[in-house]
Amino acid sequence: MKLVSLSWSHRARASAAREALAGVPVPRVLAELKARGISEAAALSTCNRFEVYVAGRADQDLAATKLVAILEDLAGCSVGEHAEVREDADAISHLFAVASGLDSLVVGETEILGQVKTGYEGAKAAGMTGKRLNVLFQRALFVGKKVRTETALGAGAASVPSVAVQLAETIFGRLEGKSALILGAGAMAELAAKHLARRGVSKLSVANRTWERAYALAARYQGEAVRWEDFPAELERADVVIASTGSPSAVLTRAVVEEAVRRRGGRSLFLIDIAMPRDIEESVHEIGGVYLYRLEDLEAIVAKNMASRMVAVAAARRVVDEKAAEFGEWARSLSTGKELSFKHSENA
Amino acid sequence: MAQSLLSWGAFLLYTAACAAAFFYLFSKSERARRTMLSLLGAGLCLHLAAFAVRLAAFWAFPENRWFLPVNSFFGALSYMALALSTAFFFIEARKRLGILGAFILPMAAASLGLAVLKADAAVSPLSPELRSYWLNLHPMVLMTAYAAFANAFGVGVALLVQERQVKSRKPSELCYRLPSLDELDSLNGRIIAATLPLLVVGLAMGAVWAYETWGRAWSWDPKETMALITAAFYAEFLWLRYVSGKRGRTPVYVSMIGFACMLATFFGAELSAGRHDFLGGK
Repeated sequence: MKLVSLSWSHRARASAAREALAGVPVPRVLAELKARGISEAAALSTCNRFEVYVAGRADQDLAATKLVAILEDLAGCSVGEHAEVREDADAISHLFAVASGLDSLVVGETEILGQVKTGYEGAKAAGMTGKRLNVLFQRALFVGKKVRTETALGAGAASVPSVAVQLAETIFGRLEGKSALILGAGAMAELAAKHLARRGVSKLSVANRTWERAYALAARYQGEAVRWEDFPAELERADVVIASTGSPSAVLTRAVVEEAVRRRGGRSLFLIDIAMPRDIEESVHEIGGVYLYRLEDLEAIVAKNMASRMVAVAAARRVVDEKAAEFGEWARSLSTGKELSFKHSENA
Repeated sequence: MAQSLLSWGAFLLYTAACAAAFFYLFSKSERARRTMLSLLGAGLCLHLAAFAVRLAAFWAFPENRWFLPVNSFFGALSYMALALSTAFFFIEARKRLGILGAFILPMAAASLGLAVLKADAAVSPLSPELRSYWLNLHPMVLMTAYAAFANAFGVGVALLVQERQVKSRKPSELCYRLPSLDELDSLNGRIIAATLPLLVVGLAMGAVWAYETWGRAWSWDPKETMALITAAFYAEFLWLRYVSGKRGRTPVYVSMIGFACMLATFFGAELSAGRHDFLGGK
């Protein structure tokens, strides 16, 4: 079996080629490859990579230059210069590494596995997969899952907002039915609102010194604007508070928080301070049931999680290499007429 | 002999379930969780069989017929271990809170272990004053309450561990494995809220029984006094948590003092010379 892969990823310094290719719909790419006599091909298009996998019989002519020419026609510009070309064993282990998240910008991220699946399903729907690519992509998805369950490559949240959400879940369990209060209406506040809204927080309130800006931000996320002088009352109802005002002194003082806690009937309160200088007095963390995290605390957790992902890279590599070698043997066995089979239990 | 073997078997299975529970706490292995539950289930079966054999031996004395064999330390400890593991099996494990096994099962294993290692398993005829239907009610209700409090104590320990993790601002992997603070808090609170009335009812039954037998409902013997203090601490917990709305560690500490008093109530019998000294086998 012959396998060729071309990829343009976040590794390349220039992104012009990747962007041009990303603009071409995947079905069009597949249709064009088919029209030019290629029988098995799949394309993977995400926001930071564009890859094409082409497979055929061992004696087939699948020159990379020919594939690049086809893609250049589609993209309408020169893309060959920045392409990473891989063949056979290299292409196999590359796809397995991609599916595992080893090649991702944020190592171990899990979205890529779904994207590989989408790419494979697209190719299958276009009638561009035969035995070779079917088995290759099914194995890639299998390896991606195996790496995630057997190694710590995907462990721990990898960004400040996702760490904040994870902590909120550690305190409250599910976030549905919880309410959030955002103090400030700047860019950071907006980012926080976006993440909370996406995670199913059911009520979002925004308080800002300038009412109009609070109103505008609240409107964008189906929230409710609160007058600045009313936010201490809102504190009684909120479960998560994110503070990012430009105030030179703390807006949430210990006295204000203590007063709110008295009226909360023992519900936990999760405070996140991402303002500089600080918006929330440090000593509120000492109050029972109140948990204050500052930006640097969240960043430290991200750094720790990323460090443990890096430790897991070697273990993930071993899984990828082992499975790639196994697939290589299977691929060679196709031309000998004595086809090997993968261990049955593993395919389940 | 059969009872001793069955009890030993149950004890060993509970201990193995504890080991699996700890492995599950620190690993992500779903298999460890299933192993824990299978071992616990098998332990429960052996334990029930041991109880049946004990009951048969106990009822071999005609005067003991229809009474439950809880008039000795062995019987009481064994019953509490059974109640505690059953409660875990039906409360936590069913709500996918099997991770709490590491906090609760060791107490069940310890209780049964104490019975098989330290207590006398022999059965004897009941003394005439114990031959009352109250014997099937008063101690049973109280010991069920004790087992439920032990369950709440395990949940409370998990709650304190989780609280410390979140307060530290440096949560470890364990933090994401344990149930959320709110879940642990509500479980702890609900178990105690449901159990305190049971404790009070059990005490009232004792008072009625004492009145029927000795003509005096309450005599301030050490066990009675300690039981009252236990109830007071648990009531204080409920008041702190639900009336004055306190969160954090203080209410949990109060409930734990309640648990310590409960242990003193139960084991204190051996030291006391009051009306409850039959438990010591005297």
